[in-house]
Amino acid sequence: MYTRKNQRDLTRTEKRRLIDAILKLKRSGRYDDFVVMHREYYVMDTERRPRPAHMTSSFFPWHRQYLLEFEKALQRFDAGVSVPYWDWTQDNRTTSSLWAEDFLGGNGRPGDRRVTTGPFAYAEGNWSVGRGVTDEHYLTRNFGRPGSAPVSLPTRNDLARALKDPVYDTAPWNSVSTEGFRNRVEGWGIRGVRAVGLHNRVHQWVGGPMAGAASPEDPVFWLHHSFIDLLWDRWRKAHPKSAYLPGRKPASPGPDRDYVFGLDEAMPPWGVTPRKLLDHGKIYRYA
Amino acid sequence: MSPTPAKPGGTRIPSRRTVLRGAFTAAVVTGTAGALLPLLDRDPAAAARPEPAPGPGSGSRATTEEFAEMYRGREIRGTATVVVPAGAPAGDRAAVAAEPVTEIRIDGRPLHVMRRADGTYLSDVRHYESYPTLLETARAAVDELGTARLAPPAAHHM
Repeated sequence: MYTRKNQRDLTRTEKRRLIDAILKLKRSGRYDDFVVMHREYYVMDTERRPRPAHMTSSFFPWHRQYLLEFEKALQRFDAGVSVPYWDWTQDNRTTSSLWAEDFLGGNGRPGDRRVTTGPFAYAEGNWSVGRGVTDEHYLTRNFGRPGSAPVSLPTRNDLARALKDPVYDTAPWNSVSTEGFRNRVEGWGIRGVRAVGLHNRVHQWVGGPMAGAASPEDPVFWLHHSFIDLLWDRWRKAHPKSAYLPGRKPASPGPDRDYVFGLDEAMPPWGVTPRKLLDHGKIYRYA
Repeated sequence: MSPTPAKPGGTRIPSRRTVLRGAFTAAVVTGTAGALLPLLDRDPAAAARPEPAPGPGSGSRATTEEFAEMYRGREIRGTATVVVPAGAPAGDRAAVAAEPVTEIRIDGRPLHVMRRADGTYLSDVRHYESYPTLLETARAAVDELGTARLAPPAAHHM
């Protein structure tokens, strides 16, 4: 059993050990496998095949297992590290310690948006990106996307609204599900209903790879998803009688039902069911 | 349908429509084949689905969106084409129409485009937000790219 902390509470040593483990994983080539995996399982809801990761009910359990796998990979280099979480309702400034020189480094510089501070700055020689989206190899960020369509980080109220929804997910179990905790947090914009929110909005706010198909190329991805994972816990605690949905076939039918993962349906690539991932109390806890 | 007229923020490039359309058709066929391969490997049901065959006489092709403009110094071009197989029953016709073949290029390099269940588009570059038209999708990708270029086509699928 280990603890995932709020990133703002990490000691200097804890930050250094986490960064070291991430850099070792990167050097081993395994980090990039995680980038590829995320891209591979990010299936659109217009595709007629199973979609375990996004636009789908199993958004939470799939990413829970994905984070566990990533954490396991890091722990092979240092058994004492875990993935901290970034509460972006709280640490919502570009000057947050999250973005400091001794942790993830800061915003991209004007012009080419290249990150030039911290351990993932290209000039440090330890971090390169560009797995198939752009032909630049330096990490970029563009906090808040200044310009014609700026983005702000979600607020405490935005989060409270999503956590209030007592239903886990609703048909058609995809990116246009207007009700349900899952899509409120995943945050797909729905015309006439709501704008891009929570999870998606944070990806947009960071910018660079985080906004694109290779989002785990920016290590903040893991801290963001650690918080998303914690939100699932908070929601379960707030609604102890609410179940993961969809449940068994054919009790939860719908046109998209064949492509989404019900409570007892094994998700690729690990073959683990959402039910197995509901309770992580024996593996880790949040502080 | 003629290329989308210039809007604020974009400068229309004089259309070379006939030539372009031929070029895009070739690119669309190649691009789609490449993108479908991993999908077909995994899903035998998809492989069994009849392919919309765009050969002469086998169906009709309708361009639902087409544009070519300079946007923030980048050349963006795009087309969305719907292929309706000849003699397809009305139901199938609707199903095929729901998934147009799309193509966006930024400075000549292809941008991978996907579609959401509500018919809006997203791209590899802006992956967490979608847009009603290909033009908006292309412009949003340019905004997100900043000074970066898209990866060359070979690197597109990892």
